[in-house]
Amino acid sequence: MLLNKLIFNQSSVRLEIFGLPDYANNENKNQISIISQWKLMIIDTPLIEGNIEHLSSIMGAFYSYSNFLINNDNGFYESKFIDIKTENYFTHKVLLKSSKSDIKPLKINIGNAVLSDIINCFDQFNASIKVRKVNSVVLNNSPKKGLLKFINKDKTLSYLLPPLLSLCSLFLISSTLIYLYNISEDKEKKALINTKNTLHSIKSIVTIL
Amino acid sequence: MLTLETIDLNGAQSFLNLSNNLNLNKILPNKVTIWKLRNNNPMRKSYVNNKITIEAFDALTKLAVEMSKTLYPYIREILQSRDDIDKNPDPWNDFKNRFIELIYERFNINSMRVKKLIDSNGNDEILLKNILALALCSSDEGYQKLRSSLLNF
Repeated sequence: MLLNKLIFNQSSVRLEIFGLPDYANNENKNQISIISQWKLMIIDTPLIEGNIEHLSSIMGAFYSYSNFLINNDNGFYESKFIDIKTENYFTHKVLLKSSKSDIKPLKINIGNAVLSDIINCFDQFNASIKVRKVNSVVLNNSPKKGLLKFINKDKTLSYLLPPLLSLCSLFLISSTLIYLYNISEDKEKKALINTKNTLHSIKSIVTIL
Repeated sequence: MLTLETIDLNGAQSFLNLSNNLNLNKILPNKVTIWKLRNNNPMRKSYVNNKITIEAFDALTKLAVEMSKTLYPYIREILQSRDDIDKNPDPWNDFKNRFIELIYERFNINSMRVKKLIDSNGNDEILLKNILALALCSSDEGYQKLRSSLLNF
């Protein structure tokens, strides 16, 4: 049986996927659901190929790494098969580790243009309806407390927030005043005790003498 | 968006055309609306706190992603030029000079943050981060990536 082949190109990068459709699900004969082999060709670097597990690992690594870069974090990714780290924002050092013990790890240095081509190629692969998705982008859509503040359309919150804030501020101010009042009282008490102590000490000196 | 406008000389019109193509006319009906929204940036000379809505934020994010998809060949060329700065420095230098020109034109240059942007000896990293983020988001999944990044900024 002949394998189906899909090609995704982006400038300096080419991804080839080989596989078969899942006939049990009545899939089209051009579809690839069972990926048997893949090849990633990057200009001026050796050919990278492997099985579905490797592809998933490599795509996950590049996506996670690119998300670090987009989010302005330090670019660093480490896993069983692949390590990627940034050098001066201009070069990305990729270390591909083989599952076979006798094969040495492959070191590749890529620039920003090639990195964006790789991500673009993987995005084309993910967007294709002719092939089963392998690894998608992991995103965190929950906003941090940051610079972006939006109008809250929920009116109830905007009604409730001012009285809640005023109550909180009242509580804070009153508790601070009570605390300060206690401090002044304590000081007075301490002063009284100190005078007593000095009196006692004079008495004791007198008795010693 | 200023980075995209640095690459596309007719950026303001392109944003409006894209807004029409993406059916964002309700939120971004004209150039003035887009300009007003962009004035929410506190580094701008004409900064006004208009309180941007989540719909407007999403629309601007979609515009930025679509624009970076269209401009990907140019974005890539600029990145490639920065990678091979000794062999082909012109695209990167042109981009950098035009970016600084736009900053002088539109931003409050007395601000310390803006001064960092116009410092030609130290702004390479900031510019590179911006343009690389656009390159990495120039795909169908780019909107989710850029949105997530901006929300976590």
